[in-house]
This record gives sequence, structure tokens and C-alpha cells, in this order.
Amino acid sequence: MRTLTRRTLGTAALALPLALAACGRSAVDSQEAATSRGPISIWVSTNEQELAWGKAVSEAWNAEHEHEPVTLQEIPAGSSSEEAITAAIVAGTTPDLIFNISPAALPDWMRAGGLVDLTTFEGGRRHIEERGGTRARNYAEDEGKGGYYQLPWKSNPVMLMYNRKIFADAGLDAETPDLDTFDKLLDASRQIVSSGAAGSAIWPSPTSDFYQPWSDFYPLYLAQTGGTRLIENGSPTFDSPDGLAVARMWRSMYDEELAPREQSTDDAMTTGATAMQLAGPYAIATYKDAIDYGFMPVPTAEGIPAGKTITFADSKNVSLCSTSRNRLTAWDFLAFATGEEWDGKLLELTGQMPLRQDLASVYPDYFAKNPDYTSFADQADRVADVPYVSGGIEIWQRFRDAYSGAVIFGTDSVEQGLSDVAHQIDALIKE
Amino acid sequence: MSVDRSTAGNAPDHAHRKRASRGAVYAVLAVIALVFIFPFYFMAIGAFQEDPTTSLSALAPRGGWTLENFTTINERLGLLRALVNSLVFTAGVLAGTLVFGLSAGYALARLRWRGRGALFVIMLGVQMVPFQLLMIPLYVQIAGNYGLGDTYAGMILPSLINTTAVFIFRQFFRSLPESIFEAARIDGASELRVLWSIAIPMVRPAIATVVLITFIGPWNEFLWPFLITKESSMQPLAVALANYINNVAGTVANPNGAILAGACTLAFPVVILFCLFQRYFTASDIGAGIKG
Amino acid sequence: MTTPSALAAPRARTSARDPWWRRLLGTQPLGLGMSLPYIVFLAVVMAYPLGYAVYISFFDYVFTAPGVHADHPFVGLANYRAVLSDPRVLGSFANIAVFLIINVPLTVILSMVLASALNSLTRWTAAFRVAFYVPYVTASVSLIGVWMLMFSQDGLVNSILGPLAPDPSWLVNSHLAMPSIALFVTWKQLGFYVLLYLAALQNVPKELYESAQVDGAGAAKRFLHITVPGVRSTTLLVLILAIITGSNLFTEPYLLTNGGGPDGASASPVLLIYQKGIQQGNPDLASAIGVILVILVGLLSLISTRLTKED
Repeated sequence: MRTLTRRTLGTAALALPLALAACGRSAVDSQEAATSRGPISIWVSTNEQELAWGKAVSEAWNAEHEHEPVTLQEIPAGSSSEEAITAAIVAGTTPDLIFNISPAALPDWMRAGGLVDLTTFEGGRRHIEERGGTRARNYAEDEGKGGYYQLPWKSNPVMLMYNRKIFADAGLDAETPDLDTFDKLLDASRQIVSSGAAGSAIWPSPTSDFYQPWSDFYPLYLAQTGGTRLIENGSPTFDSPDGLAVARMWRSMYDEELAPREQSTDDAMTTGATAMQLAGPYAIATYKDAIDYGFMPVPTAEGIPAGKTITFADSKNVSLCSTSRNRLTAWDFLAFATGEEWDGKLLELTGQMPLRQDLASVYPDYFAKNPDYTSFADQADRVADVPYVSGGIEIWQRFRDAYSGAVIFGTDSVEQGLSDVAHQIDALIKE
Repeated sequence: MSVDRSTAGNAPDHAHRKRASRGAVYAVLAVIALVFIFPFYFMAIGAFQEDPTTSLSALAPRGGWTLENFTTINERLGLLRALVNSLVFTAGVLAGTLVFGLSAGYALARLRWRGRGALFVIMLGVQMVPFQLLMIPLYVQIAGNYGLGDTYAGMILPSLINTTAVFIFRQFFRSLPESIFEAARIDGASELRVLWSIAIPMVRPAIATVVLITFIGPWNEFLWPFLITKESSMQPLAVALANYINNVAGTVANPNGAILAGACTLAFPVVILFCLFQRYFTASDIGAGIKG
Repeated sequence: MTTPSALAAPRARTSARDPWWRRLLGTQPLGLGMSLPYIVFLAVVMAYPLGYAVYISFFDYVFTAPGVHADHPFVGLANYRAVLSDPRVLGSFANIAVFLIINVPLTVILSMVLASALNSLTRWTAAFRVAFYVPYVTASVSLIGVWMLMFSQDGLVNSILGPLAPDPSWLVNSHLAMPSIALFVTWKQLGFYVLLYLAALQNVPKELYESAQVDGAGAAKRFLHITVPGVRSTTLLVLILAIITGSNLFTEPYLLTNGGGPDGASASPVLLIYQKGIQQGNPDLASAIGVILVILVGLLSLISTRLTKED
């Protein structure tokens, strides 16, 4: 009895401070915030070039808006940015604008009430759709008919990058390799490895992170299907002849040891350990002084003309958070930073493609000076993104886990692996 | 049970064998010690190499020495600033643990009050809870409710008092003989006075041990400070380095050199401090009386 | 426990004649005051979030922004059923079992043997101690980078092993990834346990060894019959601490094998808690895994206490 009362007392003592802890987080009055102006803060990715852009644009803004200054903060560019944003939304500590929104995670953040519909601002819809064209609709609610919780900002269209010197050493055509089918890609890969020109033909990161399919399976799958996303109309699409063809191609790469099953400890392209990788235009800045490279469109099973190839957009977007107390300023700044001038600056500083129509004709000078990027500007008109579904990260993680077993490590058959995970994902969506 | 030493090992053969076996113990320990410190050697060598490779010949490089790895990573992270942040974080946790941990440990060991038994049980229990389980609720509480995002206070709070340290203090205070305390109380000393001028001086070895085990926590921690800080100028070195390894590694020419240089910066201040003060981290039995 | 002098130490039990506050708070309420910061800390940083986690493990729960209301229907044990029927979750518990089977005995035996070897020596002990402790005081983040380089496909270890190198290599071999991590953690943590044992050995009477030597007992026999029983309570502490740290394994699969690879072979329950709860927005499932993990660790600790109990 005595111990019992003692325990109860101890528990009561523990419960006391909880009352303090439970006091509420003050929510923003959205009516008032929608018409309010004042200082705002923005998050930009830690990526060196994007940061330089962020600093330049906020300085330019601050010079003209004394009473509505913008403060810049950094969030990590890689895997951990989603966690940081999720936690901040739940705690109500998000900034006014985030310039690093992954469309895969966005539907969940929207449902958590963390973001603001941009079409509630005057001219919001017009700005987004004039800038992005019809494909902006892929980023809107209700199959493109509803509001926008993100402004489609920039893309990194994925192409097949190759090392010209290794191709030449392997006796391949280094100028126009023409690897537009899976068979040609596999043959070339065998030639690269057997000739000893490089230890491996291609080296996608084989790790289990949910976003890794975006740089191996998914770009090829989008090209193969002409832009069918992983999930369409609420059902997984990849358990199909097209999906199997892509997965079998990668399985051959791993089985024949043309692609390593281990993550590279170096940058495999720089060190010449591998001849190819799937990459976006951001790669140019990294490799321009290191290797002699070329780009080609991603291949498909039977081959399609380069001008028709669709690839993965790998876009990052901008959202306005519901914690914003000065939403008018935030919206004005967003429109300012995604206008023609600062989109051009983004292109110039980062080499990433603003999600804007007719890039090549809007910035002719840039592409004249930087011919390397022209193929990306062309490709940027034919991209598809991740499906707009809630629970996106969980779906991608499941897919990666299954792919990892069925394709990379070969512990399961490709058919079985894809079919099983398609059922799991289907069940997840229906839930 | 006393033994006459002269009877043990009187045969010369016996003494000889004993010396040989002692030599073997030294040899085995030396080999194990080398295995233990080898990665540090590897780290230190690689950090100063232009192109740290993983081949055998790289272990004794003749040339290719450079300081560039440190400048590369310093440009990206601001090593000094990050080190200062790590120091503030660690110092805060140490201060909290020493002040509050000592008093709680003393109260748990030597005072009689209601709830003491319950607190001890809870204390053992909380050690089993993985921090990742608590992370989001904690973040909501600390960054949301208390508004401590981007502050050192918010960074320090979840690890302010190290439970293992409280446990160690309790064990130490318990092992002191009651008679000392009785004498002081008879002289009319207050409990706080007893703690300050009698108990604490007697558990100095425990303080050294506690400093050792407490400081590694915040020095190592990268998830929590990463969540709580958005200003990169607030981030401790472990966070900056983990992010660097994760994200930036693919975008610089010699990532391994830079990673090793960062690793050195994180590791060696501690290793050097530890070597200097290692004699304080010795013999003090905290295992005794664990059963409560 | 009764004390001879009422003046010297307060009584253990309160009596009916004491004032009400003393009856409520015990004979030395100052103890409560001195522990209060720690109690508040535990309540705020541990109890509250833990209670919250246990609570949401019984609901269909999603995190929302402040001021946004979402339905959180009570689902009973559905989250527990869901995680217990998820092969990835079961796999992660199996992985951690592999980890513990390698790490715990290795830790206990190695640290005990190393400590008693160190204890028997007179010279060079400081240098040896430093060598054993140094991995423990160094941040995992910096050590992991080094291990990755050493244990990669073309890494140092494989180039020493030559044709004996495992294929696939250590960290991408589904049979070797978890053992590699277990070795890494053993190496990393061993110093701390050596420290505990060294301390405990000071309390084992030297005469026992001397008399055993006179009786002709060899080194192995002395170790088994004097050292092992002599440090029994420390062994219990080491066992429990090793089990707890091992079960909460996270940093190594997160950084060393990049998210529990290859093919989930090194995923740990805490890594899944992190993925499900924080990356994927399923805090309810994550909490269910967490509660199961805490219960299992508690059971393991209880079993260890029983096993090492003196008869």
C-alpha cells in the first residue's frame, strides 16, 4: 500500500509540469495575415549556387523594400530537408516561403495544413500558369483543376551523361554514341567494362533512400512509357511490360556487374571509375573542369527519337507557409523572385532550369554563351514529375525497398518484386 | 587470508615462465591497441593528402601532402564557428548535468523523501527509450511551444541532464560511509552544506567519469541540433559534417580528403584533451549496488 | 533501517505525530527539492513526449500544423497489428537480434579480458588505456567516414585480404552488413566498458589471486574463479547498457549503410521509427514500433538481471 501511494505521488509530481507543456501554439489569423505586409523569412537550400541566388535576390528586394525586409535561412539540400520541413510545419516554426519544396512530399504537408493556396492571391493563378504553361497544372490540386499550394519553380531534367574519354578508350563513338535502346546501352556497357576502359559502366547510387529511384529507374520508366507517372488515377502503373522492361535492363546491369552494388566512396565520374550517370544540368558545374563529358537523352527499350523523349523533371518548388503573418509581402516577393529577371539569374547562377515556357527563346543570350545547357533547355519542355498523391514518400520508400531486392541485389525475381510492391502500394492508396 | 610471498614462485623456472607470459600479455595488448588506433592514423594521414586512396601504399605516403582539404571544408562549413557551436552545446549539457545531476544524485542516494524509489525506477526506465521516438513531440514542444528554435537553449534542453550521470552520482554517494554525514549533521551543518563541502569533494573521481561520458553525447549528436537550427551559423560541427557527407560530397573534386579533414577537426581536439587528462578517468566502481 | 541517533539522521518512516507536509513528502523533503530540476526535466523531455507517443500508437494519427484539426480516430491495436505483419519491421527486429548476439557477448568478454589484462600490468597502462578509450570519445560521424573508406569494395581491408575479400563486399553483403556494424559498435564502445571493469577490479581483493596462485591455479582458472565472480555486478551493468545501446542502434545504419542497406539487411527498428515517423508522416506506426521496442528491451534487461543474480 505504502509503495503504491508513493508511486502515485511520484507520478503526480511528474504530471505537474505537463500542464505547462501543454499550453497552446498560437495560430496565425489567416484573414489578417492575407492582407498584411512586413518582414518575412525564407528558406533556401544549402547548395552553394542556390544560396548565391537566394542572397542576390533578397538583397535586391531589400534595397527597395525597407519595411518588408527578407531574411534568408538555409535548409539542407539532400534527404534531410523533408524531415526539417515536416517538423517545422507541425511545430508552426516554418518561415514565410520555402524555396526547396519536394513535390513528392507536398500533398502531405498541404493536408497537414502547413501551406497556403497561392490562387487566393490576386493574380496568383495567372502568374503561375503564364510562367509555367499548361504543364503547371500537373502541380495543382484536383487533377490540375484546383488551387496551387506550390509554384513549380525549377527542374533538373535527367539525361544520360557520359565520359567521352572512356567511351573513346572503349572503342565507342565518343561524339554521338547513339545509345537510344536498352540493348545498345547494355552492349556499350559490356564493351566499356570488358575493354578495361573503366571499372564500371554506370554507377547509380544503390542505397535504400526513398528518392534514389529518381536517378535510376524512374527517368527511364518515364521515357519508356511516354510520361506515365508511377501512379495514375489512383493506381500503380509500373507493374506492366514497360516497367518490367526497365527493371530487367537494370537487373542485367547489376547481374553482369556493369553497375556496382556498393555506393561509391568517391565521385565515380570524376575519378573515372564509371563511364556514365543519370544527371541533371546541375552536374555541369561539378564536372566542367574535371572531365570531358557529353549528354544524351535517356534510352528506351525500342528507341524513340530524341525530340520525343520524356524524362524525369526532378523539380523543386516554392510554397508559402500558413505560419506567414505577412502573406502579401510573401506573395509579392515570390512573384518578384520568379519573374523573368530572377529566373534568368537562377539559370545563370545554378544552371538549373526554371519551370518556365520556352526557356531557349526567353534567354537566348544565356544559351548562346552556354551551349552545354541547350540540350537541357530543350529537354526541359518534355518532362514529367512524381505523381501527386498523399503518402508519396512512403510509396517511394516501398518501391525502393522492393526494387532493391528484385533489381539491385537480385534476391527476388523482377516480376515477383514489382507485382508484390504494386499490390502493397495499391492497398496504401486505397486506405 | 595472508600468504607468505616468498613461497610463491620460488623455483627459477616458475619466475621465468611468469616473465614470458607477461611479455605475451604486452604483445597481445599492443596488437589490439594498434588495431584500435589504426583508423585514427588513417584519418590523420588522409586528411593531409591530395588524393587519399584506399590502397595499401597510401598508408605511408611519400608525397602529395596538402592543407587544401582543410581549406575546402572550411569554406563550406566554417570549421571554427562550428567548433565554437559544438563547444557551447557541450558546455551547456555539462553544466546542466553537473549542477542538477549532482544534487539529484545526492538526494536519491542519501535523503529520504517520498517518490525517491519511483524516481529511481523511472530513471532506469527512460534509458531504454529511443530518442527518435520522442523527436517530433519534443520538437513541437521546444520549437513550437517554447519558441526555442535556433537558440542554444533549445539545442541543449533535451540533453540538459544526462541520466547515466545521475545514476553514477547516486552510486558514488551511496558508497560513502554514513558516519561522515552523521558527524557533520551533529555539528549542525545543513544538508546543502553537507553536499557542498563533504560529499562533492569525496566524489571527485565520479565527476571526471561523468564529464567523460556526458560530453560525448552532445559532441556526437547530429539529428537534434540539425532539426532545431536553421541558421547554419548555429550548427555544431557534427551536424555540419553529417550534412556535408550526405549532400555535398558528390559536388567537390576530392570529397574524401575534405571528409577526413572534417573528421579530424571533430575528433582530434577531443582526443588530445582526453590524452592530457586521461589519468583522471580511472578507477571508480559504479557497478556495485546496481540493484538499487 | 533504523539509525541510532535521531539527531544525526532523520527516521526512514514518518509517524502520525509528524506535521502533514512531512507525512506527505517524507522525512527529508529537501530531497524532493534537490531532485526537482531533474524531475521537471524528465517530465518535460521524456515523460510527456513518451506518453504522447504511446497515446498516438492507439490512434490513426497524422501530424498537423498548429490550429488545424484532423480526425484522429481510436483504432485500438490496429497499428500494432500493422507493424507486426510488416516483413520489414520483423526483419529489423531480426537484424537487431543478430547485432545483439554478436555485440553483447563480444563486448562483455573483450572488455572484461582487456581490463583484467591491463590490471595485471604495471607499465604502459596509460598508453593502452588511451588506445582503448579513444574510439569511445570520438564522434561517430567522423569515424564512420573512415570506416566507409576502409571497408568499401576497393577499400583497405579488402586490399589486405586480397582473394579472401568477401564478395559482395562487407557493407553491401546482406550477411555481413549487420555483423560489420556490430563490430564497429563493439570497437567504438569498448573503451567505456573497459573503464567500468577496471574500476570494478579495484574492489576484488588482491589476496584472492595470490592465494590461488599458491594453490597452483593457472591464469585462466584465476580469471574464471576470481575475476568473473568478483565483477559480477559490473557485468550486469555492462550487459544492460550494451543491450540498451544496441537496441537503439540508429547512427550506423543511417550513415554507414545509408538507410539500412543492402536490401534492408541492416535496417534497425529505430531507423524504421525515423523513416516512418519523420520521413513518411506515419507517427502512429512509428510509435507502435517504439513501444514494442521499449517493451522488448525492458524484458531483455530483466532477463539479464535474473541471469546474473547471485544464487
